[in-house]
Amino acid sequence: MNEQIKVPKIYIDLLDQVFEIEKKVEALTESNSISRNVSRLKEIFEQLETDGGLFYHNPIGESYNETRTDIEASIAGNSADNLIITEVIKPIVRYRKGGITLIARKGIVVAESKS
Amino acid sequence: MENTINFGIDLGTTNSAIAKFVKGEVIVFNNPLDYGRATLPSVVAYLKDKIIVGSKAKELFEKQKKDAFTQAFFKRKMGTSESFPIKSQNRSVTPIELSAQVLKELKTFVNTGDTLESVVITIPASFDLIQSNATKEAGYQAGFKQVVLLQEPIAASLAYANMKKSKELNDGQWLVYDFGGGTFDVALIKIKDGEMKVIDHEGNNFLGGADIDQMIVDKLVIPKINAEFSFENLEDEMKSASGKLNSKYYTLLYNAEKAKINLSAVSSAEIEVVGFEDEDGNEVDFEMTITRSELNELIKNAVDSTIEMIKTILTRNSLGSKDIQFTLMVGGSTYIPYVRQRVEEILQIPVNCEIDPTTAVAVGAAYYAATKQKEISKSDKQQKKTALSIKASYNKASKEKDELFAARVTGETEGLFYKIVRQDGGFDSGLKKLTERISEDLPLVENAYNFFSLTVYDSLNNVVETDIEPIGINSGFGISGQPLPEDICLEVDDLDNPGSTRLFLLFQRNTILPTKRTVTFPLNKTVLKGSNDEVIKVNVLQGSHLSLPESIKTIGYIEISGKNLKRDISKGSDIEITITISDSQDLTASAYLTMADQEFKETFNPKERHMPVNLLKEQVEVLSDKLEEEIEQATEKEDYETASALSKLKKEMEVVAEETESLTPDDVTDKRYQLEDKKRKIAQEIDSATKHKRLQKVREHYFETKEECLKLINDSGNDHERKTYNDIVAQEDAFMSTNSPIKIQEKSDELHSIIGQIKWRTPEFLKGIFNWLKNEQHKMRDQTEAKSHIDSGNFAIESQNWDRLREINFALLDQLPRGAKEQITTKIGFGL
Repeated sequence: MNEQIKVPKIYIDLLDQVFEIEKKVEALTESNSISRNVSRLKEIFEQLETDGGLFYHNPIGESYNETRTDIEASIAGNSADNLIITEVIKPIVRYRKGGITLIARKGIVVAESKS
Repeated sequence: MENTINFGIDLGTTNSAIAKFVKGEVIVFNNPLDYGRATLPSVVAYLKDKIIVGSKAKELFEKQKKDAFTQAFFKRKMGTSESFPIKSQNRSVTPIELSAQVLKELKTFVNTGDTLESVVITIPASFDLIQSNATKEAGYQAGFKQVVLLQEPIAASLAYANMKKSKELNDGQWLVYDFGGGTFDVALIKIKDGEMKVIDHEGNNFLGGADIDQMIVDKLVIPKINAEFSFENLEDEMKSASGKLNSKYYTLLYNAEKAKINLSAVSSAEIEVVGFEDEDGNEVDFEMTITRSELNELIKNAVDSTIEMIKTILTRNSLGSKDIQFTLMVGGSTYIPYVRQRVEEILQIPVNCEIDPTTAVAVGAAYYAATKQKEISKSDKQQKKTALSIKASYNKASKEKDELFAARVTGETEGLFYKIVRQDGGFDSGLKKLTERISEDLPLVENAYNFFSLTVYDSLNNVVETDIEPIGINSGFGISGQPLPEDICLEVDDLDNPGSTRLFLLFQRNTILPTKRTVTFPLNKTVLKGSNDEVIKVNVLQGSHLSLPESIKTIGYIEISGKNLKRDISKGSDIEITITISDSQDLTASAYLTMADQEFKETFNPKERHMPVNLLKEQVEVLSDKLEEEIEQATEKEDYETASALSKLKKEMEVVAEETESLTPDDVTDKRYQLEDKKRKIAQEIDSATKHKRLQKVREHYFETKEECLKLINDSGNDHERKTYNDIVAQEDAFMSTNSPIKIQEKSDELHSIIGQIKWRTPEFLKGIFNWLKNEQHKMRDQTEAKSHIDSGNFAIESQNWDRLREINFALLDQLPRGAKEQITTKIGFGL
């Protein structure tokens, strides 16, 4: 059976904010070094414990179908064939311990048909 | 073997749940694929080659997908002759079949190893005999041998009664107000002589929490966007499936639901509206605040319509508010404070919110199940034994995003299904027909070990045993990557031993490549722009982290002097060092100075060692001095054995020193590498000749510290300090046997910090510090303030207010100039 992991909600909330900041920094056109601080924040989470930590994955642009239980999707448009993730409301948060990763929080996305 | 049913199922219109009675308590099973949720959306989807049930099916509801058919809300059609055509499969499914699929899926929630044969299933109070029989039939189709029905309002009441631990409720009557995700029901319950009965009921099959979310977006958010931006027909663009902002509508629905939930706890919540442009090209990016009163206003009509239904029931039964004991609140929407208030206010009947509204029905069903006998004859229980053998083949390591899994099945596959699930819960193939050959693309999580399990089910979702082992696929490098042959360390200033340096472990030996790490240190020196006097050194070394820095080899070196800087950087600002080692062992070191916002980066190839001549000269010089010093010390202590060993090294050292001196900074021969090797060998020998001495010293120091610490803990330590102390002492054998002075020193330091903690609480120590600080007063920055602190300190001692004295000590310490507090040597520029 699947293993589940309970991570303090505050970490997930913080990571969601880091994700939001990262998205906004990517949209900036003038040069800046904010992304360095964002990577630092992400590294802090990745090294939360000596052999593991939390990190998120942005599934934007990936294909989506009903086997992806790491994601909760709303399907926009009429068709549900050849779905592509077009909006990421919350990224997938994973927990890594040693070589194994577990899902700490599912991603929440909007998917649309690209056929 | 238990002889009561014990399992209860809430087969809801929008969500279902399953619970079990175990030794006086009820546990609600979690949805294995939906973290933290105990419910399963009652939605079924038929795809080309499989059936999926739950949240993944819900996503497909009302969408067109090739060869797919999705159905929800079929509970409303139970007992009718209506059936739903599946065009692609040329057949129809009945509401009974759909309900059976939901029941089968709920079986997979049960992780206690029970085989489910008898269950209690709940039905709405409004169900007639035909609808009830249809529900029973669904239960049989799902493989249950015995199905007992129970009305939902009664189940909710039982959950309440059991929570109150008074199995018998007093005679009387109450209302069960069930406001869920998609439907609303209200029932009047009467209890007389221990018998509970539904007297009357009303309901609306199209009113629930999802409607509220939609109201928030339609009535509050969209008008607001329209008011501030220019759109011709925003509502259509959002709500019609072909509209170009359709995807934003779902994002807003999600945000609206979050805000609605938040508003149950706080009085205002934000909805972020971002990520699209209006027709004039203006970016829509704002946050709108929704207050609780706005939400209340919005849902007022809906709530009032539910109250009207209650009034109808009361009138019909000639009852007044005083005849009703309470209104029991069930269903997620009753979390909304306004719903509770309004119902109570208008009806003048107290509301009761003591049970968990989302699982109450399943919980009540399980309590009821615990009172019902199992009635299954033994002969029915015989299970078909299927001997299935599955031979799997797949790549055990892969760099692809997904990996093909193929298997061959021997044995009878007719009527069987299989499902492949990834261990982290991120992939579920859905229930598929088992055939002789299976092939499936398994998606992999990058850089991790992926475990999958393949389970075979019979047509009733009972697990069929097979001989297949868990499927393990390693993504990325993992075991295929090569391990680091030796530790990789960074040289840092040793703040405990001014003037010397120590090693900071970056990567442990056997770390799998490639690897990367970033560490941050505060600088302990100021470097002025353009100056050449002070430099910061990033020295990356390879070799055991327990040895001395000079005895292992440098593999990467960056020097930052004032000439390289854009601006002055001061002591205390951060240096961020990132070390990356590629799978071919190329080392990239980068140092980033936060204050200057400047990065220095260099890649070092292991085949060309990096050894600047001036660094070598300096290292040789330091080592010569160190050797002299060690010889002197050994002679002083009459340790002639060590002294003579060291003296032998002295000759070699002199040769190395001489040759190094003669090198020009731009020397192109490999002479410097030979010299560095020799230097390192000498350092290692000094290390081993004197290790005994250093070890002796740190051990003595450790035991002294331990004794002092224990005494203090016995006198005035607390539980936490005692535990920390015991933990350290428990590891004593382990760290002593490493024979590493650094390891032992670390433990002494930990004990020291306990000592510090305790001492700062003891009056004697506080007085001592205070007296010392009094003597230092002349050095303090603000004399008036210092004087006033000292006066208060004297008073604190008089009145024996030790907490106050501690504060004053800290304040006085702050008054001391920084330089006086810490005189740190700054060889490297940062340290530990």
